[in-house]
Amino acid sequence: MHEAAEICLKCGVCCNVAHSCHVKYDHRFNPRYTFVYDCLASEKRASNPNIWLCVSCHKCEETCPYDVSPVYFIEALKAEALGTGFVHPTIRAEVAQIVSTGFAFPVTGATERQRQTLNLKPLPPKAVDELAKIAEKTGLAARLKEAQP
Amino acid sequence: MRYALFLGCFIPVRLPHLEAVAWSVLPQLGVELADIEGFTCCPEPVGFLTDRVTGLAMAARNICLAEEAGLDIITLCNGCTYTLRQANETLKADPALRARINEILAETGHEFRGTVNVRHFAQVLSQQVGFEGIRSVVRKPLTGLRVACHTGCHILSPPGVMGFDDPLDPIVLDGMVSALGAEPVDWERKTMCCGWTLTNYGDRESANRLLGAKLDAMHAAGADCSTVICPQCFYQFDTGQMLAARELKMEYRVPTIYYLQLLALAMGRSLDEAGIRQHRVKDPALDGKLGRLTA
Repeated sequence: MHEAAEICLKCGVCCNVAHSCHVKYDHRFNPRYTFVYDCLASEKRASNPNIWLCVSCHKCEETCPYDVSPVYFIEALKAEALGTGFVHPTIRAEVAQIVSTGFAFPVTGATERQRQTLNLKPLPPKAVDELAKIAEKTGLAARLKEAQP
Repeated sequence: MRYALFLGCFIPVRLPHLEAVAWSVLPQLGVELADIEGFTCCPEPVGFLTDRVTGLAMAARNICLAEEAGLDIITLCNGCTYTLRQANETLKADPALRARINEILAETGHEFRGTVNVRHFAQVLSQQVGFEGIRSVVRKPLTGLRVACHTGCHILSPPGVMGFDDPLDPIVLDGMVSALGAEPVDWERKTMCCGWTLTNYGDRESANRLLGAKLDAMHAAGADCSTVICPQCFYQFDTGQMLAARELKMEYRVPTIYYLQLLALAMGRSLDEAGIRQHRVKDPALDGKLGRLTA
């Protein structure tokens, strides 16, 4: 990660294509700043809230002339945030939901009623025992527990 | 051609009318769909936002189910396609990583072998069924319907893995819309993200401004509606637009229609059968135009 951040010449091409910068929705966000700063200059790398403003559109990957591809570093910082307590609460909840139910979103009575009206099969129970085994083995289950608010 | 239909989470849980239209129209284009028990979330946020190895293992487990059935996977969502194709291609190309993932999967009774492919329905329609094949099922050409095509991000990048279209100048969806007799419009900000991720994990106010910029561009180009091939993009342009319109004080609306719904209309289905009535963002002028075209 450090090596790629050092390759970055700060040419600004990624800022031209990053949607965040395009509509100037938040002057704080700058993919170049977010990953270079967090990789090289910050003691708390994954604590920069700007990482959550990256939409993972991959346009920086398509245009970066030096194959630095900030998107992957920003995603790595998002992953790191789970272990350091800076994870976005929605992400933590969604991931926990996937591990425990197999769905990223809660299945409500309204969902089932709507499916019935459309003559669709009721949603089947997911293989949550298999997901639990995977999450145990990779350590994700433990990390989720630690990251609980 | 027969495929294992991977529904993901978003469509069956939040937008089941899009699932209904997929089951209804795809077989008529020769795309036979198999219902495989045991698929879970692809699992998008687990993989690229939290834990790459767990994400790969959960994606591989889904692919294993299709391998066991001897079928390629067809998806209805850009996010599912990205997650599953990335995992499939990565594990096919990296024996060491495949061994590690298979060790994690061992207790679940599955083994990733790398014997199937993953395709988005837009890939199946444009590359296998073909534009001519799409044209052949059109009974009610959508002549004069002006459509802003939004392909979305995750089916485009990286193109070497996704194999669909040019990420900086996508035109395949425009071709698919033309095959229905409709008119794809040229609009600015076409390749910008819909902002769904930003709405959920970032900053809703900024996401609204991003969405507003896209809708302004569609409106300026004279689009009657937009079309999408991803449920997240759909949700953003439908429910997201409804919510953003209040904050942005928007004076117009650009309804969105999932591509398979447009296809259903062109195949002669009614607005009800295509699920259009379930949408949050409505425009009487569009309803009138669609009513005349499908009468």
